[in-house]
Amino acid sequence: MSKELIRLRDLCMAFDDELVLDHVNLYINDSEFLTLLGPSGCGKTTTLRIIGGFTTPTSGDVTFDGVRINDVPPHKRQINTVFQKYALFPHLDVFENIAFGLRIAKISNKEVEERVLEMLSVVSLNGFEHRRVDQLSGGQQQRVAIARALVNRPKVLLLDEPLGALDLRLRKDMQNELKRIQQQMGITFIYVTHDQEEALTMSDTVVVMDKGRIQQIGTPVDIYNEPKNAFVADFIGESNILDGIMHEDYVVEFFNRKFKCLDKGFAPMEAVDVVIRPEDIEIVPPDRGRLVGTVASVTFKGVHYDTIVDFKGYKWLIQTTDYHEVGEVIGIVLNPDDIHIMKKSEYSGLFGDYSSYSAEYDEINDPDFAEEDEEDADDEN
Amino acid sequence: MKTKTPAIPYIVWMGIFVVIPLILIVIYAFTNFDGHFTLDNFSNIDVFLQVFGNSLWLALIATVICLLIAYPFAYLLAQEGPVFRKIAMLFIMLPMWMNFLLRTYAWMSILENNGFLNQFLGLFGIGPLHLINTDGAVVLGMVYNFLPFMILPIFSVIDKLDKRYIEAAQDLGANRRETFRRVIFPLSLPGVLSGIMMVFIPSISTFAISKLLGGGMSFLLGDLIEMQFLGAAYNPHLGSAIALMMLALVVIAMLIMNRFGDGEEGAVVM
Repeated sequence: MSKELIRLRDLCMAFDDELVLDHVNLYINDSEFLTLLGPSGCGKTTTLRIIGGFTTPTSGDVTFDGVRINDVPPHKRQINTVFQKYALFPHLDVFENIAFGLRIAKISNKEVEERVLEMLSVVSLNGFEHRRVDQLSGGQQQRVAIARALVNRPKVLLLDEPLGALDLRLRKDMQNELKRIQQQMGITFIYVTHDQEEALTMSDTVVVMDKGRIQQIGTPVDIYNEPKNAFVADFIGESNILDGIMHEDYVVEFFNRKFKCLDKGFAPMEAVDVVIRPEDIEIVPPDRGRLVGTVASVTFKGVHYDTIVDFKGYKWLIQTTDYHEVGEVIGIVLNPDDIHIMKKSEYSGLFGDYSSYSAEYDEINDPDFAEEDEEDADDEN
Repeated sequence: MKTKTPAIPYIVWMGIFVVIPLILIVIYAFTNFDGHFTLDNFSNIDVFLQVFGNSLWLALIATVICLLIAYPFAYLLAQEGPVFRKIAMLFIMLPMWMNFLLRTYAWMSILENNGFLNQFLGLFGIGPLHLINTDGAVVLGMVYNFLPFMILPIFSVIDKLDKRYIEAAQDLGANRRETFRRVIFPLSLPGVLSGIMMVFIPSISTFAISKLLGGGMSFLLGDLIEMQFLGAAYNPHLGSAIALMMLALVVIAMLIMNRFGDGEEGAVVM
């Protein structure tokens, strides 16, 4: 439907001896909302900075509309950025911050005023034009930063974790707002985040990165339902990942039992990773279960209970709205479409085991969490 | 409420060495030798108007020259690596390890009619030039002595400037010149303002530099005041009155400066 706008070809980036980007290949379509998703240090921000022109890749090409732009400085690119902590100019008021790019482009005063006021209404900040930026709340600064970038009518808007410093409620509102602005203006958004939920909510395309490599590219639904490897399965949502053996097409064995599944194309008796999402598992009375286990712990999560069930020493996470007591023996059934088979990868065996489960698993699994907390504390000071 | 106890030593210090002397100056300025209240000390001041003008003028020139030298220097230095910076900073600070008077005496022997500079120029058949005991020599002395006080605040402001602002400006289409004009320079103004104050104030009140390098030719406010206290014209009452006037002059100059900074972060002194 839409044409290709940006292409990254064999992009490598090394700082000193450390490889930050490892042969990244990616194309980005016009008017697309693309998200680079990954833990901190995965190379997503570096990728964004290369597209913005702030970093020059060690090797590989960046093309924009078919033209190689590796050596084009940022101020000559039709790309604008919303920086992680906004970087609003403290010596200028809201109006002049937004007008900055237009003033440099020597746009007439009359048009500057029109366009700035128009942008202020797009980001719902009418009447704020003469406020000082340090008098604004985080969410308002965020909107000014977006307006300041969009007023230049760029072809591409880069957003570097723009919602990271906002509280949960505001973040949800801004997610919808950003999606609305993107659709209203028809601009390509390239969004960087470590928050999988944010990525799934807003994006047309999600690019999952780790260790400087792209792990998977796909729509949010694809990424969630058909993760390519254990890293993606674990990073996007919760997953039970077990060792299995693919007997033939549509038949997988784990826990010494054969299960029907919907996957094919593996070698006979190939060792595989089996993903079972915790919300797909159906709990039944023990006599009707394909597998029988004992409830090891239960945590109330609001919408559901996180129930850890012990199957012969291997612990699974099951999300269920029904309460099952610790010590209760339960059975489970798995439908063929609840089982997803992945090829073995370097990540096999690293993720998806809930044996050391604690109620804080989100925080432990998210390497950004601690760092983010500190940053928030700083912002409040 | 924060406790104020730890501040007490400083309050005492300031009381003894700042507030009390100021009060004494005010008392002296408004009294005569008999200890009676009088405004005579101020009514005579118009005689010294030329000295005021001269001081203001030379201090202004010295400040402007310092700014013109210091800003590019500080700006370029802030772009350099840590090793170069350290060495450059050392060289800026090095002369300040030596006594102020000695440094000024050194300039005397350089600038004298048969001094070092003229001997050097003489090798090329130039001169001898009349360098010492001119306004130029006084300004040179001021610039030489007070330049570090201009460089340091400007450097520290530019150095601490958040690089994200520069990237944001580039992102919005600004080339190097525009980035400097619209972002770096405005954001470095607080440093410029404190630099100006730190050069202008000692320049307008100096007496040693004008005495040593200006001879009798450049007679500045500092010399005038010194003369009232230590010189032949002994009159501490008149001296206090002139000192008070000079203080007013500095305060006015600073208020004008703060205007330029929009009174924002520039409020270094007030």
